[in-house]
Amino acid sequence: MNAKTDPNGNLITLVEESRALNPDLFSMIRMQLMSSLFELGDDGATIRELKAVLGLSDGALHSNLAALESMGYVVFGNVTVEDKNLKSCHITKDGEAAWTSVVEWLKRMLECRRE
Amino acid sequence: MTGFEKVKACLKALEYPSISVANFEDKLVVQKIIYLLQLKGVRFGYRFSLYVRGPYSPDLTKDLYTNAKELARIDSKESLVKNDLTLIRNLPETINLTPSRLEVAATYAYFAFERNQDPATATASVRRMKGFYPESQIALGISGAKRWLYAPTESELREIASDAEPWGCASELDGRSADG
Repeated sequence: MNAKTDPNGNLITLVEESRALNPDLFSMIRMQLMSSLFELGDDGATIRELKAVLGLSDGALHSNLAALESMGYVVFGNVTVEDKNLKSCHITKDGEAAWTSVVEWLKRMLECRRE
Repeated sequence: MTGFEKVKACLKALEYPSISVANFEDKLVVQKIIYLLQLKGVRFGYRFSLYVRGPYSPDLTKDLYTNAKELARIDSKESLVKNDLTLIRNLPETINLTPSRLEVAATYAYFAFERNQDPATATASVRRMKGFYPESQIALGISGAKRWLYAPTESELREIASDAEPWGCASELDGRSADG
């Protein structure tokens, strides 16, 4: 039963469902990174693109990407653009599944608040 | 004709012998070419939104992956209508089809054309998103986008050429080509 169909305890259901999610994904920077990479799938993005668009410092970007890599959610690679070798990363299947779960849960939470 | 068949016909008209979906640069170039052409009215039927990489269509990417074999050797029997063909052939004459120029031009076009930002604001938006490119590439990409998006008057053409001239000279000194 999901939160929308539970007449007695929407909040309780949401809390229970949240236990299946990875709490380490719930930081602004990691959510920005995951949502950006999710949309690009296997294509991924270069590190310089992520840094520029998300407005992150090198430290914040690299520490959070390293954390996501250790969770198995992103992988690093190398691409060549105009003869320059650039570091890139893209989301993994596990990352896609984890991010989809977070998004679905957030949607249910918003629906619950609206009712 | 829309969709992937038209993309193939367009790439053939631009004399691309092949596109590799394993190649980051190839996919980037195709995305930006199709976006810029679509903005000028060549109908491919792809929806583009602003992503980390600038204007980007996940559906186009999906089509490129699905048809990877056909892209390894581009051949199309489809014929493009005259107006589309004219626009396609005009693109490389207006914008240098290198990844950096195309990225800058497409991103400027998105902000100026789809978000209706004034030129100064659109330029600032491009600098924020693509600030890792040298200022010369940004200036030349933006001037290309302006020429592509708006049919300029003679005086505007002179103004655009004058704006981009120092960067064109700088690129030539660097041994790079310039399209300002």
